[in-house]
Amino acid sequence: MDAWWQCEVPYPFVPQDVINATDSVRASLPNRYCDPKIAADLFEEVIDEFLLCDDLGLNVLAVEHHAGINSLLGANPLLVGILARQTRQVRLLSLGTLISLRKDPVRVAEEYATADVISHGRLEIGFVKSGGTEMASNNANPVNNIERYWEAIDLIKKALSHHDGPFSWEGKHFTHRHVNIWPRPWQQPHPRMWSATGDPETAAEVGRRGMVHVLVLRGPEGTKRAYAAHRKARAEAGLPKVTTDNFAYAAFVYVGDTDEEGMRVGSKLLWFLHTSLKSAPQYSKLLPGSAPPQAAPQIYRTAPKSGSTGVMSAGQNAARLTSLSAEQAMAQGILFAGNPDSVYKQVMDFYDKVGGFGHLSLVGRSGFMTHAESEKSIRLFAQEVLPRLREIKPITAD
Amino acid sequence: MSAGDVIGGIELEVVRRGAGRPVLLLHGAQTVDPRAPFLEMLGHHAEIIAPSHPGFGRSARPADFETVYDLVHFYLDFLEALPHEKVTLIGLSFGGWLAAELAVKCRHRLDGLVLVDAFGIKVSDRETPDILDVFNTSPQEVQRRSWHDPATWAPDLDALSDDELVIRARNWEALCLYGWNPYMYNPQLKRWLQRITVPTLVLWGSSDGIVKPSYGRGYSSLIPGSRFELIERAGHHPEIEQARAFVDTVVKFMNR
Repeated sequence: MDAWWQCEVPYPFVPQDVINATDSVRASLPNRYCDPKIAADLFEEVIDEFLLCDDLGLNVLAVEHHAGINSLLGANPLLVGILARQTRQVRLLSLGTLISLRKDPVRVAEEYATADVISHGRLEIGFVKSGGTEMASNNANPVNNIERYWEAIDLIKKALSHHDGPFSWEGKHFTHRHVNIWPRPWQQPHPRMWSATGDPETAAEVGRRGMVHVLVLRGPEGTKRAYAAHRKARAEAGLPKVTTDNFAYAAFVYVGDTDEEGMRVGSKLLWFLHTSLKSAPQYSKLLPGSAPPQAAPQIYRTAPKSGSTGVMSAGQNAARLTSLSAEQAMAQGILFAGNPDSVYKQVMDFYDKVGGFGHLSLVGRSGFMTHAESEKSIRLFAQEVLPRLREIKPITAD
Repeated sequence: MSAGDVIGGIELEVVRRGAGRPVLLLHGAQTVDPRAPFLEMLGHHAEIIAPSHPGFGRSARPADFETVYDLVHFYLDFLEALPHEKVTLIGLSFGGWLAAELAVKCRHRLDGLVLVDAFGIKVSDRETPDILDVFNTSPQEVQRRSWHDPATWAPDLDALSDDELVIRARNWEALCLYGWNPYMYNPQLKRWLQRITVPTLVLWGSSDGIVKPSYGRGYSSLIPGSRFELIERAGHHPEIEQARAFVDTVVKFMNR
């Protein structure tokens, strides 16, 4: 198993009364509440943490989120560019530029090819569907978001792997008549590609495409169901079985000297759930396209009738997460926290519950966790937990 | 209501009411409620044909059909397929945008145009939105700005049936697909409004907070010879909030 450290660079320093009074901490909270000097200090600390990971051999992962206290990483390619140069040995996953929000996928391909070259072939390219408040923040039509997602991936892949002069793309959502990027990527035909999704239809397509499939804070049942959809789609398409190397899971992780320290400091990570997900209904449950019209009776009424809607939407998953306690988060495989032995055991319990995965992504710093606390966990994880996880080799599991 | 009309290969829901001179009624963000009193009132004077746009209500939407360009050309076919030589075209809100586009292109099939709190053009400067962004605004605020008297007229979603809620969600999704960007207008439409030669009435709820009466005045000024009228004590939906005044004004216009 491989591991990847991530920090979304949240900005928790907004007065609590402001957070209480607003209906959404994303998309519409005025940026006057973001002090650029504090933001600069945060970037300084977090980039140092990425570089510590590089020293210790722990891979790094850069996300992208827009216009909210949950993350200052609205411009993923900038951080990826910095890490491409400043790290020297670990692999670097961009998860990722939010491609369905970008007007020109060819530009995204250029950014990725450049980062791959600067890093001498250490880049991995992840794709995330986006949604919610980011549709407003980026003027992106939410109804056909998923179509843009796949078309952009197709175009980026072709731009990265086509080396015979300009080609033309006249697709449904993107047109670009003269595509010929320089430099081409270091890795051939292109860096490995990842996709983050929990919904079964997208999971099936991720499977057919053979991408690394990452689940974020989904817990064992949702994760297992998504991995199964991935495998089933491959089987139905007559494609070879994949190993656990095609599967990844992202959870909050904190490693302390003791269980008490691990859980006490690790529970700070839940700020992400409790505070940074607050989102007004027009950006979440009422956003067109976020759920099929048939789900409207459950969504529109103030007191929905009881009944199962089957698979949770990303918005419903977020609503479930906002009220989670540390104990519940640990019981649900969303938080792995404790001393190194405990964290290793929690990861492996989860591994067994979902049928195995080859990559653990650590959401390692969030909320008010300090730089020192974050670095302590990085050191303990890299030195005490990661060597044991590395012993877990990819297997072909059903 | 009939749900079996097929126009241009698309299965369409069409509400029909009344008898008299033909009126093609194009709905706004929500499809026309067959129980709406203004239908009955107007039906005493006119034969109303009120289709649900493809993707709205119970009308199908082909997968490759997702722009106002598609809707406008669909309604050109729809007009061709009507047995009437000419109709009065009434467009409400989003349907007003479609009606204005149709009147620019198809003067010979219309004997009158009524735009009601219509979308479709850009009037103010680039930093002043003309039309409330209903997708990025809280639902309470959207309701507050939709009605002169929201306490009376804002729909109680808890009281609607499952079917009605599914239709609302379908309408919401279709509106977003067609109108997201540029938001509820065609940048090119304004310069072509001068092509509208049929008698035109631009009708506005005086309390409309979705798109203000000043926008309606601007719209009217771009259509040669058009008349602008306000309906008092009505918001974005005068046909619902002041059905009697709405129908009287429309009938007076039709009998001009």
